[in-house]
Amino acid sequence: MDDLLEVQDIHTYIGQFHILEGVSLKVRRGSITVLLGRNGAGKTTTLKSILGLTPPRQGHVILDGQEIQGRRAFDIAALGVGYVPEHRAIFRDLSVAENLRIAERKKGDLDRKADFIFGLFPDLKRLYKLPGNHLSGGQQQMLAVARALVPDNKLLLIDEPSEGLAPVLIEQMMEAIRHLSATTTVLLVEQNFIMASQLSESYYIMDDGKIVHQGAMADLVQNKALIHRYLGASVNAGGGGQ
Amino acid sequence: MKLKGFWQKNGAFLTVVVLLAALSFVGWTAMGQKSFVRTMLSGLTLGALYFMVAAGLTLIFGLMDVLNFAHGTMLMIGAYAGWQFYTNPTFLFGLAPLAVALMAGLGATSLLQPVVMNWPIPERWQRGLRTALLLAAVAVGLIGVLGLDILGLADTAMVATMVAANPLAEATPQEPLASFWFRPALLLAAGLLMALAQARPGDRTQFVRREAPWRKWVTVGGLLALAVVATLVRESGPLAVLRMDANWRFVLSLLTGALIGAGLGAVVETSMIRPLYVRSRFLVLLTLGLAFVLKEVTQVLWDPLAYQMSRPPLFSQPGKADNILAWFSGHNTTINIVGVTFPSYRLFIIALGVMMLIALGVLMNYSRLGMIIRAGVQDREMVEALGINVRRVFTLVFSLGTGLAATGGIGAAPFIPVEPAMGDRFLMQGFITVVIGGMGSYSGAAIGALLLGLARAFGDFTALKYHLSPAISEASPVMIMAVVLLVRPAGLFGKKE
Repeated sequence: MDDLLEVQDIHTYIGQFHILEGVSLKVRRGSITVLLGRNGAGKTTTLKSILGLTPPRQGHVILDGQEIQGRRAFDIAALGVGYVPEHRAIFRDLSVAENLRIAERKKGDLDRKADFIFGLFPDLKRLYKLPGNHLSGGQQQMLAVARALVPDNKLLLIDEPSEGLAPVLIEQMMEAIRHLSATTTVLLVEQNFIMASQLSESYYIMDDGKIVHQGAMADLVQNKALIHRYLGASVNAGGGGQ
Repeated sequence: MKLKGFWQKNGAFLTVVVLLAALSFVGWTAMGQKSFVRTMLSGLTLGALYFMVAAGLTLIFGLMDVLNFAHGTMLMIGAYAGWQFYTNPTFLFGLAPLAVALMAGLGATSLLQPVVMNWPIPERWQRGLRTALLLAAVAVGLIGVLGLDILGLADTAMVATMVAANPLAEATPQEPLASFWFRPALLLAAGLLMALAQARPGDRTQFVRREAPWRKWVTVGGLLALAVVATLVRESGPLAVLRMDANWRFVLSLLTGALIGAGLGAVVETSMIRPLYVRSRFLVLLTLGLAFVLKEVTQVLWDPLAYQMSRPPLFSQPGKADNILAWFSGHNTTINIVGVTFPSYRLFIIALGVMMLIALGVLMNYSRLGMIIRAGVQDREMVEALGINVRRVFTLVFSLGTGLAATGGIGAAPFIPVEPAMGDRFLMQGFITVVIGGMGSYSGAAIGALLLGLARAFGDFTALKYHLSPAISEASPVMIMAVVLLVRPAGLFGKKE
């Protein structure tokens, strides 16, 4: 099997609400797979369900041949799953250094990875001692991604890394994600279609808690009708660079 | 830009410092040096105690959104435990083997889990089996304590406080070993039954934590050995403690009370609070109910009376030390501080509070646990997503907080009456402190406690001097709270809205 992650027909509820109504997807080892869809389609919940933050009530999540649904989130993360949440969720009261160090799973993780991380995000080295809330939005987003790179992760779940970033920073972020996919597998949630299409080779489109379309990115780029139907506004936004 | 950032970070702190300095100057000139210093020191003593309660409250609320109404009760239990240990520890030594044996049994959960989860038990019977096991555990445990003269044991320290001359002469002797040994054995069995229920026999869907197996064996083995030792020293232990130098006994009382508070906190968090995190509304009821129950139990054991723990000799030699240095050789009851005669023990309380503040500051700023707590106050879901077992951190923080409150209780025991309701006042002041300082910030708790302590002390002084109602001093914390909330709704150093 060449799939690092396989999600089989998961159903997730938040309170009374049935958010995911049978989502299935596969992420090939070493690839970047993108999850597209409108706001509220269930993309973030899918990532959280894989990680166990909103555990699915039904269905299976298989990581590297091992069923992981029902485990606690910290346990799943410790198997080698990194998570970059949306809205730049760094720890604002912690310094940049602490934000990175807290992600260590073994002592010395950060020292080992420091060169790689600062190679991708040189800014962070300069800001190392500053508190997180002194960083600009873009820098916070870089830090959130960098944090997920500190331990050795097999799989990275990245939620809208381009959200609210200036075009220059989007370039840098894309470059970084492309770079790190050489060593890990990435499941990416992205609204910015231009960015998504340039990074990934396969895609899933979600709508109303279900996967409505999937395939190779090369085919999707041709299919203007499909893009318009499910991604509508976000394509235009991506095209215009916002 | 830089200035703005600096102000955002330190503005609240600077404002408080400037305000306090200004008020001090006014007080100094208006009250006269002596009254001012005396009132100031009284305020600091109160503030130190408030801090020890509020620090735990604020961390527990900041990290896990639990308003712990049982926090004052923990202070009360700490005071009782310290008083018992210092005056006559027969009660503690009598119950220790039972408690440790129960813990040893419970500790076997992780050893049992990988074995019993594979037992062929149909799913529909599993739930019933777990309930049956728990009921059996309760029954076995009850048989274990049946006929044990707990009230008699509890009486020992009570009597000792009243006769004072020879505490052990009045002590109820412990049961002879021949008729006692089955009690810890049964409680071990009860613990094992609970462990079995917790290990969920037949439930193959659970995940076994990958830990080094020797670690679990060491835990269980260590607890078993401790239970055996505790069983053997029931009689000789209290004697040894009482023959000890009284100052060391006091230090040990502080440690024992802190440990009992922390242990009780850990038990309460894991057994009662943890299942309710998902129904957080009930947590208020739970902690409130727990406070009532523990208070009643204390009343049953020691009667609704107030006791006075005697001060250790370090603070009770007659006479007045001319200055703090002289106290170090004289160990006098009072110390002369710039012309004011002040009890030396109260200075110790201030020092204890400052030590706790420093220790907590080091823990929060320089340890990994502290880093995780600060991160968790802001976003615990993300902490969990980094692979950190947040539940274990919850237990640690809860027991840290209750341990701190219990330490405050023992510290207070020699100059505040030890009684079942003693925690209530501190709980209320603790909550106000937390609101003033800001939820989740221990430094906020420190500043809040300082403000509150000083407000109470200066309020008392004002009321006394101008023949006003003492209600002025009691109302002052609430007035401060109202003003702070108007200016800063999240509290002075609030991390949360």
